[in-house]
Order: sequence, then structure tokens, then C-alpha cells
Amino acid sequence: MRNTRYFLLVVVILLGLVLAACGGAAPAAAPAAPAAPDAATEAAAPATGGESAAPADSAGKTELVLMGWSSSPAENERLQKIVDGYNTANPAAHVTLSQVPDYDTKLQVSLAGGSPPDVFYVDSFKFLDLAAANALDAGGDKIDSKDDFYPNLAAAFTKDGVMYCPPKDFSTLGLVYNTALFDAAGIDYPTAAWTWDDLAAAAAKLTAADKSVYGMSVTPDMARWLAFLYQAGGSVYNADATQMTINSPEAKKALDFYVGLVKDGFAAQPADLSAGWPGEAFGQQKAAMVVEGNWIMPYLKDQFPDVKFAVAELPKGPADAATMSFTVCYAAPAGGKNLEESWKLINYLTGTEGMKAWTDLGLAMPTRKSLEAGWAAQYPEQAAFQAGAAYAYPWQFVAGFKEVLDAINSGIQQAFAGSMSTDQVLKDADTVGAEILAKQK
Amino acid sequence: MATGIKQQDRQDAVAGWLFMAPSLVIFAIFVIIPIIFAVVVSFTDWNGISPLQSVGWVGLANYQDVLLGGGIKQFDFFNALKNTTYFALGVVPAQTALSLLLAVVINQQRLRFKQFYRVSYYFPSITSSIAISLLFMLLYQKNGVINQALSALTFGLWPPVVWLNDARGLIHIMLGAIGITVDTFPMLDATKLGGVSLWSWLSGPSVALLAIMILNTWTTIGTMMLIYVAALQDVPISVYEAAQIDGASAWQTFRKITLPMVRPTTFFVVTLGLIGTFQVFDQIYVISSGGPAKTTMTVAYLVYRAGFGNSQMGIGAAIAIILFFIIFALTLIQRRITQGSEA
Repeated sequence: MRNTRYFLLVVVILLGLVLAACGGAAPAAAPAAPAAPDAATEAAAPATGGESAAPADSAGKTELVLMGWSSSPAENERLQKIVDGYNTANPAAHVTLSQVPDYDTKLQVSLAGGSPPDVFYVDSFKFLDLAAANALDAGGDKIDSKDDFYPNLAAAFTKDGVMYCPPKDFSTLGLVYNTALFDAAGIDYPTAAWTWDDLAAAAAKLTAADKSVYGMSVTPDMARWLAFLYQAGGSVYNADATQMTINSPEAKKALDFYVGLVKDGFAAQPADLSAGWPGEAFGQQKAAMVVEGNWIMPYLKDQFPDVKFAVAELPKGPADAATMSFTVCYAAPAGGKNLEESWKLINYLTGTEGMKAWTDLGLAMPTRKSLEAGWAAQYPEQAAFQAGAAYAYPWQFVAGFKEVLDAINSGIQQAFAGSMSTDQVLKDADTVGAEILAKQK
Repeated sequence: MATGIKQQDRQDAVAGWLFMAPSLVIFAIFVIIPIIFAVVVSFTDWNGISPLQSVGWVGLANYQDVLLGGGIKQFDFFNALKNTTYFALGVVPAQTALSLLLAVVINQQRLRFKQFYRVSYYFPSITSSIAISLLFMLLYQKNGVINQALSALTFGLWPPVVWLNDARGLIHIMLGAIGITVDTFPMLDATKLGGVSLWSWLSGPSVALLAIMILNTWTTIGTMMLIYVAALQDVPISVYEAAQIDGASAWQTFRKITLPMVRPTTFFVVTLGLIGTFQVFDQIYVISSGGPAKTTMTVAYLVYRAGFGNSQMGIGAAIAIILFFIIFALTLIQRRITQGSEA
């Protein structure tokens, strides 16, 4: 008698656990009846939990999920405020903000599982990969006021003549310099007219004899060296990405210059300065100049408020002025369940009002030309970053190119260490790139 | 009578299966099915982004690319295999020897505060490997504690090493000290095995990989030590007493009595060590992301990179299956060696 009762109790508890698990993280208001079919779809998809777009419930409110990566607390808070404002103004929709670390993996898994978020960040670097996999909904005419975006930023998210998603903000690379160290060494501040020779000369003068301060801190990263490659008039591949053009005299000039800064002792890698990245070395005043983007501003204000610095445009190379732009767009998934509401949200977030609310934080720049003047007035110290927008190249490559970048980064690292010649680095880059480009469908 | 026993047997069997059912189901869902899934994916060109329905079958093309292709994928795989092999060759013997040593020390009858030592040596094994990795990143900095300690120990003669950014191989450094460099035998640099030059195969673990090996050994010693302690406690005291009467020294006791008696445990520890070191991932992910010039790229991390970084899930799955076969083969070889010597 007692045994049967205990047995029944155990069975009931187990059943309850199983039902609760299968019901998933759906909001408590969701009736238990759809739990069974939901369990089937949710068991098929890898654990996406609350990120699955739940269908409209009986009140007619569309539930949307906005997914992005988690950055600084200030940014996260600001985005939450904007989303709350949208929710209040649009009672027909309810947007839940989901900010995740390890964003790329999470996004890929939710796309592959068939239950992607309704609106999500797409970095220009990942755009062509995702577009090639047909994972994005081609916005095209659904995007409001397309002409207001900077042309090169809009082009970064355009494929086959169709603009897939509107860029929400962007950053460019600039030359961040320590004004106090410049004053102490008696050097004039950098200007947009500086050349590579000016940069090298200044770095030489700013490097202390006991190596307690270096002129620059550089990383063996394509995301930084690419600006120098473009400044020398070189390129990675030709216009239709069928041939590698990186093994050229211009590229050799650019790589020799970049590696030369370290070889000559005027620049050091962050690890050699016991820092995690050049920004940290700059903040600790172990490097007088670094090539970084807008993200360094809040970092220095928070972590190293005593450092006096300013930003100048990157020096002009032998051929041209060039810098890199890093931009992110809001995209909707192809075949998404709530495309109309998703695009309404995207247009709000990238419209004049929503973008102004976001970029007022000063952490990234607005991508709409109409907001340029207002932002410049608010943040005059970041003028050099904004000026770069006119001649910036997007940080973007054809789909599947990451392997080549890894190989080039590895090569540049070995060039820094002196275990590989710059000729060999470019030759290897050419070979690997040719192999990958040949596979382009 | 006979019918009654059969019924009892059947009831026992049914009860047995019912009791095992939950864990079997979980095992099937989280282990068996993903493995089958991975095998299937390794024969496709899935990019890990589009839903699976739209995927194309490519047969053995992924395996061909990775093992024989002659391009960057083959280079990446064999480079990762080289790094992982050096990692295992360094960590497994060190881990086994040190943990046995610690176990013997802790197992002494007259040792006080035994419990404290046991807990403190086991502690690294139960701490989050991410937390430990982040901590060691700080310790390994150029002006970090490790360089300072080494400098103090050598009275200032030790030049500060940028541990995590140094891609030079240990064997290369040692050869360089006696004058042998890459130019001494140009043949070694020109000949390639699996896309990696023979000179590179001889590089040994890089300094960055060595740093991670030390970290890994420190983390796993605790678990192995506990296993050895359990095994040591199984050795009857009478054997030790007999040895003492026969006049055996401590070293002779250790070599001739302790070691042979814990041989099965040694096999177990070495197997665990091999499996663990060939699958090392978290430390690489946190500390070096494949490291200076791909010298800390291990096979498991390469699987992650191929699958999520380069959007080539098919290649990633193929590498994972190859890794499985390698570990399996190693375990079989190791078992044969141990069993062979027992005969």
C-alpha cells in the first residue's frame, strides 16, 4: 500500500519534470496544450531556449526577439532603453532583448536549428558568409530612406545589387596619440597630411632609450595592417574575387613598413608590453601612438581617465589615404515568421530617431548622413574618426575567406618574430588565397 | 518450480532495463545520436548556418581535403596534430609521474594534515578551467609573477619571456643553442609530410604551448593523484612489511613493489591522460585562440574553428571523426603494450 503510493508519487514528479522541460522557456502565459508540438520542434532545434520566436498569442501581440552581442554595460543599458521605448510606442509588438556573449556561435546555432531570432546583428565581416548561406532576408525596398546612408557603408551590406540590411552604426580606425608624450618630446601633433615617414620618425623620437615607452604598439592583425596595404595602393584580391593580388610590390612595401616598425624597435606588440591589446598599452602610457577605433574612447575614459590623448586621421600612404570601417547591420532571417514586424523594428532602430538615440552615447558613429553634423557637434574630439568615413574600406571579404586571413595573420606574426621573411608571408598568402578563391561557387 | 524461476529472471531483467532506461535514453540522446550526426555531417558540405535540409552530399571529399588535399586544410590539420602530439607527449608522462609521486607521499601513514594536502592538491581539478586559464594569463605576462619568480631564483639572469606570444619551438631553441638552425639541413625544410615541413615537425612544443602544458598538468594532477591514492590503499600492508623485513630501501620498495602493484591503475591514468590531452580545448579557447602563429592550435580547437569560424561544419566533423580514430588507436596500442608486458 505505502510502496504503491510512493511509486505513484515518484511517477507524478517525473512526469511533471518531463512536461516542464518539454514546455520549454515559453512565457508562463502560453497555454499548456501547444507544449506537445512545441516540444517536438524544440527537441529538433539545439537549445535555443527563449530565443525561438513564439507565435502571436490570443491578445494579437507579436513577440519579437532582438539578439545582439553583449558589450559594455552602458551600451547594453542604452539599447534596453531604446527597446523599452519602442515597446511602449508600439503595443502591437513586444520586443525582448537578448544580449549574448560568444555571439557568432549562438547565432549560427539558432540559424541552423531553424528558429532564429527575429532581428539580429550582422557584422560586415560575417555578412557575405550569411548571405551566401541564404540566411538573411533581403530587405531591399523594405528599408526606409536608403539614400541617407553613407554609400560605402550601404555597399558593405549589398549583394547582387540588393541591400540586405541597414547599417546601424560604424567605427573607423584612427591614430590615437598621447598628447603629453608628444609635448615632452617636442613633436608636432599628427595631422591628416602625415606620411609614413612622418609616422616612423615620430615613433623613433618617442621611443625611450630604456624602452620604457615605445613610439607605437601594433598587433600582427589583418584588421589593422589592411589599412596600410590600401594606403600603399595594394589589394588582397581583384574586383571580382577570382585572383589574389596580395603578392605585389605595393603589398611588400606596406608589410616591410609595418614589420619594420617592430624590427627597428620603435613599435612593440602588446604582449611585449604586458598588455592585452594596444589600447591597454596606450592607457598605461607604454606606447605613445596606437591605431585603434572609436571603441578606445570609452575604454580610456573608464580605465585610464588621466591619460591625455587625441585622435588624428591615419597617415597618408604612398598611394592614398585609407582606413578601415567596422560596421554592423540589423538583419532579419530569411523565411522568418514575423518579417513585417521585424522590419518595422529594424527601420525604427536604424531610422533617424532610433539611430540618434543609440549613437548619442558616443560609442559608435551614425551611418546616416543627416545625423553627421549633429554627432560631430556633440563629439568634436572624435572628428578624425568621422572624417575617415569618406575613404574607409569595409572590413569584409568574400565568403569562406577567413582561412586565408588566419594564414596571413600567422605569417605576419612570424614576420614580427623574425622567423619568416615578408616575401614568404606574401607568397604563402597568395597560395592559400588562390586555393580558397578557386573554390568560390 | 522451473517456470517460477524463469518468471523471476524475466521480472529481474525487465526491472533492470527499466532502471537503466533513463540513463540509457539520456546517453542515447546526448552521446550516441550526436556521434551518428557528426559522422553523417562529415560526409556533407554543410556550412553550419543553413538548415540541414539544404545540404549536399560530398562523400569522402572532406576527409580527402584534410588528409591528402595538399592545401591549407591539410596543413592546418597536420599542424594541429603535431601540436596535440607534443602536448600529449609532454603532459601525460609528467602528469602520471607527478601524481603517483604525490599519491605515494600523501599515502604515508605518519603524515599529519593528510586531509588538507589531499584537498589542496585536488582543488585545481575541481576549479573552473576558464577561471584558472584567465588567472594564468595574468601570471604568464611579461612582468607577471612567473617571470619575476624565475628571475629571483636565477639571481636576475633569467630574461623575461613573453610566454604566451612566443612561437619558437622548444626543440628548435635547443638545437639553436648548439648551432643547428633551419639552414643547416635545407632538406628538412623542403620535405613536407602532410603539408608541414620536416623541420617544423621537429619543432617541439612552442613556448606558448609549453605554458599551457604546465597549466594543464597542474590542473589534472589532483584527479590522477586521488585515483592513485585509492589504488595504493589496496596494496596490503603485509607486502610492505615483508619488504621491510627483507631489507629493501625506500627506492627499491617503490620500484619493485609499489609500481608493479599499481600497474592497472597506471594504464587507466595514462589512458585518461591521453584522451584528455588529445581533446584539450578550453585552455586554448580562453588563452590563445590557436596561439602565436598557430602553434597552440590543437585538433579539438581546429574543429571549433572550422565549424564556427570558417563555417565549414563538414570539415570540422571530419576532423573530429579522425581525432576519434586516433585516440581509439592509441588506446588500443597502449592496452596491448600493458597487457603484453604482464604476460
